[in-house]
Amino acid sequence: MNVVLASSSIDGGIGCWDLQTGAEQLRYKTCASPPHGLASIGCRFLACSQLRDPSAASGHVLYWSWSKPQAQVKSFPAEPIKPLAGNSEGSYIVGGGSSGDIYFWEVATGRLLKKWHAHYRAVTCLVFSDDDSLLISGSEDGCVRVWSLFMIFDDVRKQQASHLYEYSFTEHTLRVTDIVMGYGGGNAIIVSASEDRTCKVWSLSRGRLLRNVVFPSIIDAIAIDPGEHVFYAGGRDGKIYIAALNVESTPSNNYGLHIIGSLTDQSKPVTCLAYSAERNLLLSGSEDGMIRVWDVKTKNILRMFRHSKGPVNNILVVRLPYLLSRAEPKVQASSRRNEFSLHPPLEKYANSSDEDMDNRAIITLPDTIDLPSYLSSQLINDHIKQLQQQGSSAAAEMEVKRLKLDGQRSMEMFQQLKKSL
Amino acid sequence: MYDVGLKPPMLRNLIRQHLPSGNHPLNLNASCFELPKLVSILQTHRLLSESDSHSVDPKLINAWKSAVDDWLSCLLSLLSSDMSDKCWVGICLLGVTCQECSNQRFLTSYSVWLDKLLSHIQPPSDSQLVKIASCTSLSDLLTRLARFPEVKKDANSLAGKLIQPVLKLLNEDKVEAVWEGAASLLYALITLFPASIHHSYDKVEAAIASKILSGIYSDITLKKIGYCLALLPKSKGDKDSWSLMMQKFLISINDHLNEAFQGVEEEAKSNEARRLLVTPGKDLPPPLGGHTSLEGGSFNGTSSERLPTATISTLIFCCCKMLTSSYPVQVTAPVRSILALVERLLRVDGSLPHTMLPFMTSVQQELICSELPVLHACSLELLIAIIKGMRRQLLPHSAYIVRVITRYFKRCALPELRIKLYSIVRMLLLSMGVGMAIYLAPDVIDNAFNDLNSLGGEDFEISPANTGPALPQPSNRKRKHGTKTGSLEENQVGAHPKVGESNTHQMTPITVKIAALDSLELLLTVGAASKSDSWRSSIDNLVIRTAINSCKRGWGNVENNVFLPHESASAWADFQLSSLRTLLASFLAPARVRPPHLSQGLELFRRGKQEAGTKLAQFCGYALFALEVLIHPRALPLDDFYSADGVSNRFSENTYTDSQKQNTLFFSVAQTTEQGAIKSHDDLYNKWLQNEVENENIADENMKDKTSRPNDSSLGNVLEVSEQEPAAADADVHMRNEDEIVVQPRRIEEPIPKSQEIVSANAVTSPPAVGTNLEGGEIESQTALSACDRLNDTDHDMLSGVDKVDFNTIGGKTSSTLPNAEKGSSSMAHLESESSMDSFPDIVDADPDTDTDCESI
Repeated sequence: MNVVLASSSIDGGIGCWDLQTGAEQLRYKTCASPPHGLASIGCRFLACSQLRDPSAASGHVLYWSWSKPQAQVKSFPAEPIKPLAGNSEGSYIVGGGSSGDIYFWEVATGRLLKKWHAHYRAVTCLVFSDDDSLLISGSEDGCVRVWSLFMIFDDVRKQQASHLYEYSFTEHTLRVTDIVMGYGGGNAIIVSASEDRTCKVWSLSRGRLLRNVVFPSIIDAIAIDPGEHVFYAGGRDGKIYIAALNVESTPSNNYGLHIIGSLTDQSKPVTCLAYSAERNLLLSGSEDGMIRVWDVKTKNILRMFRHSKGPVNNILVVRLPYLLSRAEPKVQASSRRNEFSLHPPLEKYANSSDEDMDNRAIITLPDTIDLPSYLSSQLINDHIKQLQQQGSSAAAEMEVKRLKLDGQRSMEMFQQLKKSL
Repeated sequence: MYDVGLKPPMLRNLIRQHLPSGNHPLNLNASCFELPKLVSILQTHRLLSESDSHSVDPKLINAWKSAVDDWLSCLLSLLSSDMSDKCWVGICLLGVTCQECSNQRFLTSYSVWLDKLLSHIQPPSDSQLVKIASCTSLSDLLTRLARFPEVKKDANSLAGKLIQPVLKLLNEDKVEAVWEGAASLLYALITLFPASIHHSYDKVEAAIASKILSGIYSDITLKKIGYCLALLPKSKGDKDSWSLMMQKFLISINDHLNEAFQGVEEEAKSNEARRLLVTPGKDLPPPLGGHTSLEGGSFNGTSSERLPTATISTLIFCCCKMLTSSYPVQVTAPVRSILALVERLLRVDGSLPHTMLPFMTSVQQELICSELPVLHACSLELLIAIIKGMRRQLLPHSAYIVRVITRYFKRCALPELRIKLYSIVRMLLLSMGVGMAIYLAPDVIDNAFNDLNSLGGEDFEISPANTGPALPQPSNRKRKHGTKTGSLEENQVGAHPKVGESNTHQMTPITVKIAALDSLELLLTVGAASKSDSWRSSIDNLVIRTAINSCKRGWGNVENNVFLPHESASAWADFQLSSLRTLLASFLAPARVRPPHLSQGLELFRRGKQEAGTKLAQFCGYALFALEVLIHPRALPLDDFYSADGVSNRFSENTYTDSQKQNTLFFSVAQTTEQGAIKSHDDLYNKWLQNEVENENIADENMKDKTSRPNDSSLGNVLEVSEQEPAAADADVHMRNEDEIVVQPRRIEEPIPKSQEIVSANAVTSPPAVGTNLEGGEIESQTALSACDRLNDTDHDMLSGVDKVDFNTIGGKTSSTLPNAEKGSSSMAHLESESSMDSFPDIVDADPDTDTDCESI
């Protein structure tokens, strides 16, 4: 079951709708999220950073399990965390701090594995690459950086290298508002949006700018079409612009070079976008508290979800695990709850001296199916083979036994004969 | 043969012919050896199933039921025979019956069968074949039983009855084969009825551990019972028992290693390993199986003659199985200790540290050296297991692993170990992606160069004299450098000066080469995009050379040679396949220049494709297919995306009337749609026009970077012309609709030289592009583009004037364009006159004209 999750900067909880039927599911309570603060961690649970009071020295991060409306785990990182992201397996969570630091936690233990100074100003968005080996971060200072996680974790090379990042893109002049990454591993493209009214397309393999698209308004959200023909950019003027990536563009239209059209519903500023690849749908969240589902082929709105009065600023499309989407027996539910409660809160500080903890990794072992199969017919063949080789001790043993019995029988017969005689 | 009615008589016939009847002594040679045939008949015709989907004839069902009844009574009488051979036949067939009989029959009689079978693994029984067969049949019975959740409770208690006899077999029997049987039964018990083991957990552990620790049994037996031990924690299913078992294994391995490596390893190492294993201040866990592992060992006194290799490798095998088998809950794995163990094992290579020299006899040293390959192989297995078990969570340890691997790669020379190492490399590349590729690339390349360049493999059949420069080199320049492959390489691989002289593995077996090629393939697919400039061209050269070499002696045939064992016959074919796969990867991997050896590669693939019926031909066919995209790169118009089906087109019609904004968008769609439609008319022509420009754009990038930009004022004009061509082509099509086909040939020939000239101009101005034309940046070119785009727009306006055309169907299009054809053709004629004058100076002026033209429409 594919569900749409949305949260807002004003507490309205996390709304959850079935994308197929439009039915509203559980609403997860008490959540006021910053942009990019909502993340589904490996489809196992929801995490969201919280920022109630901008002046407060610390924020917190909440976890929800799929089955319960109340937040289950509350963590207090050392500083306010805005963007959150989890890797595809859900084993790590990264958070971007307002000081420009990036925090890297292990989910299973809650340990802060690494923390590094990534940007001069607050981190605004964080994205994992497809293979989870790279992390891309954007910042208020307009900088987009690409980090290799191996470098982050390799203390030896870290010392040798002059800088930690793989690439640092500095062409944006204002706050980076959103980053998406395309397909193709090391050859992928990165699209970033900024308050300087541009979206920039970067090549990961060459580490440089490929295309600069200037928009009529500030772009706060982008989503990329899986085929990478176009990308969608949600503007503060309420339009979703369609910008060309890999098609011929028609620069002569109203919006500007490379912009080939727009989707519009006379709405308030578009704050977030998500793409559902399964059904080719584009989802947009707006400041009027609505989530619109667009069919990108026809440019029609298929559905609208009402989240709240406040602005929606995060949308996720998550494929819920099969079991969760069914009504399940109680036993399983309780065991899952136990498993969930195992996730400890995220730690505040790295505790590098604790070597014993370094040694212990909490892992879920691979789910291999290994069941005994029927062996009898194979065994017969094996034994027959053994018996045919006359030298086999087992066969000999059996032969001896048979002879013994034969002998016994002959003796008996002999005795009987003797008696009868 | 499909007649259900025949089945009961067939079964009776089998009983009569094959089953020894009560009194007659069994003739081993006659009837026993026909058992496999009997079983296969039973299974193919499903003679025991007692049901058939097609027939519900009660008479037949009764007949069948009574036949099966007879069969079973016959088996049971065999089972109770005091002749062990008859008994054995009965037991085996009962096992088959457990698998084959109907559900109902199984459920009614499984407990009786279980009791019967159970009696044969208990003391009075003395034949080992009978015991083994009983264990196997029991395990089959349990396997079937586990499919019925409704009898779970009963099944669990029955299974519980089996534990003691099995333990007895393990503890008291002296024959290895019987233990194997017992292990298979134990395995079934642990995996299917874990609860039944719960109470005897410690006893089972002790029984198995004593076997493993004694270390004197065959490898297979030890592995089988070791597997049971590794799965044993499942019977409790909590995270502590898993961790405890793992810790016990590791401590035991560690202790054994301490002893084995006395003298070849510094004392400090063993202490360090120990420190990681046992947290200071915490109690030592009880030793494995309750045996204080070392002094219990029978090898203790004889350690100078024999190393506990079997024990160590079995224990490591157990660790591997624990790490890769599923477990109901999350567990805590001591990653660092395991990795330290791996490193410790790999570090010992049999050479003596200086301080130890006086204490070691050469006999001891030789002994260790002879056993080390096995131990190294085990430790690599352990590394593989931990990579599999941890998956992405390995990240914090990945740097450490990479260092261990690269260090070991430098020293490792044994073929099997190198193959394993390559497989680890592949695993890391695949599971950890780009980041890992950047790290591992230099080492993979170094090693692959070594392995692929060394003699051997190719000279499987060729005498060394022939392996010279006969390779068709892409450039003759290189050939003059030397007559030997080695020196050739040295020249080509300036970046790897080591390769030439460190050619230590003179004869690299072909299997190692295959592993090296496979690793290269993966490196190319995963990591070719990132920071590959330094190695890319040398790898491409190596790959094409290997591929040509592997194929020049004809194709390896898997089936033909009946005299060779299968592996060695197929090795050559595998090698060819691997080299061609790597070649394809080297063509397809992202690069900045055109693949330099494409022509040779295509030739190889074409030749390979002709070998019909082989895997190789199949692959070559696929390779040619995949390369087609490389040769004809596609930048498809957007209409594919927007209107994949007719339905959506209708929707777009609706939106068209809706609002102004969508209207404009619709135009852009219309434009591309139209182009798409034209492609179907005049596909080749358009494709060439467009793609040539793109191709050159990408390929000539290097040239672009170097060439200084000429200040050519007519540049914009040239570009204009280039962009005009498609529009003009549109005109062609429209005209053709009016039967003015005559125009076409002229037009087709004309633009080609023109477009080439445009290409060169284009190559100078436009910066490198990812797709078609990312970010021109040049004002002239932009205006030029927009100018000619307006030209394009005229077309669309024209079309839209016709109202809601169904762009997907050509018929509709034709009909709709016809009314406009006159106006269109007039403007097109205008265009044509311009474009045919190669660089018409003032084309921008022409646009307003056409625009107004359209507005007036």
